[in-house]
Amino acid sequence: MSEGAVAQREVALVDLVDRLLGGGVVIAGEITLAVADVDLVHVSLRALVSSVDTAQRQGALPRMGEAL
Amino acid sequence: MIELVAITDGTLAPEAPVRAVPFDGLAVLCAPAAEGEADAETLWRREALLEALMEQGALLPVRYGTVVADEAAAVEAVSEHRDAFARALARVRGAVELSVRAVGPADAAPAAARVHATLAVLARDAVRLGGDEQLNGAYLVERGAVDDFVAAVGRLQREHRGLSILCTGPWPPYSFTEAG
Repeated sequence: MSEGAVAQREVALVDLVDRLLGGGVVIAGEITLAVADVDLVHVSLRALVSSVDTAQRQGALPRMGEAL
Repeated sequence: MIELVAITDGTLAPEAPVRAVPFDGLAVLCAPAAEGEADAETLWRREALLEALMEQGALLPVRYGTVVADEAAAVEAVSEHRDAFARALARVRGAVELSVRAVGPADAAPAAARVHATLAVLARDAVRLGGDEQLNGAYLVERGAVDDFVAAVGRLQREHRGLSILCTGPWPPYSFTEAG
């Protein structure tokens, strides 16, 4: 995978994690997987989001639509 | 233990080990519960599974990590929401979710609001999700209108130089699973 494709995938991963862990049908009281582990992933990915702007100004990441 | 993957209208035929368990005209797609920590590859595999299933018909993803004892427990967990699921499936049928994030300085909030309003007009439905960004929007877009939507994102980026706008998708309708 090219460097650009990896960057796009990482950016899209933020949206994926937000959606898989924060979206979808919620069935109360039935979430029993190791969510704590996943939450750690989530936190680090949120940090990535706040760095996207800087990365884009450096030309390291795709701009609008390119992650599509 | 099995994991609930998605709610569908009963016409989807998943490949093993995923099974479609029928309930009252709909079906809940179940998979053997994963063991160990969920890493990025695990999450991408789930996404790929949902995307492949979406090619067959409408579905509502279930929150990742929703595990029950067996298929009987799965049916029990979803049956009471049957009518809400049916309405939500009608809402998302033929559409996909697109994500648009915009980051920028604090005074860019009005611009982000304009971006959201412009994109919402092009979508069947739209919602602003929480987050640190000026905009973290989810848009339910007709499959045939995705190209137009992305083109609009491009125009908005050119109009709002103070924002960095990033669009990803198409996603399963993770943010539109309510009856609406």
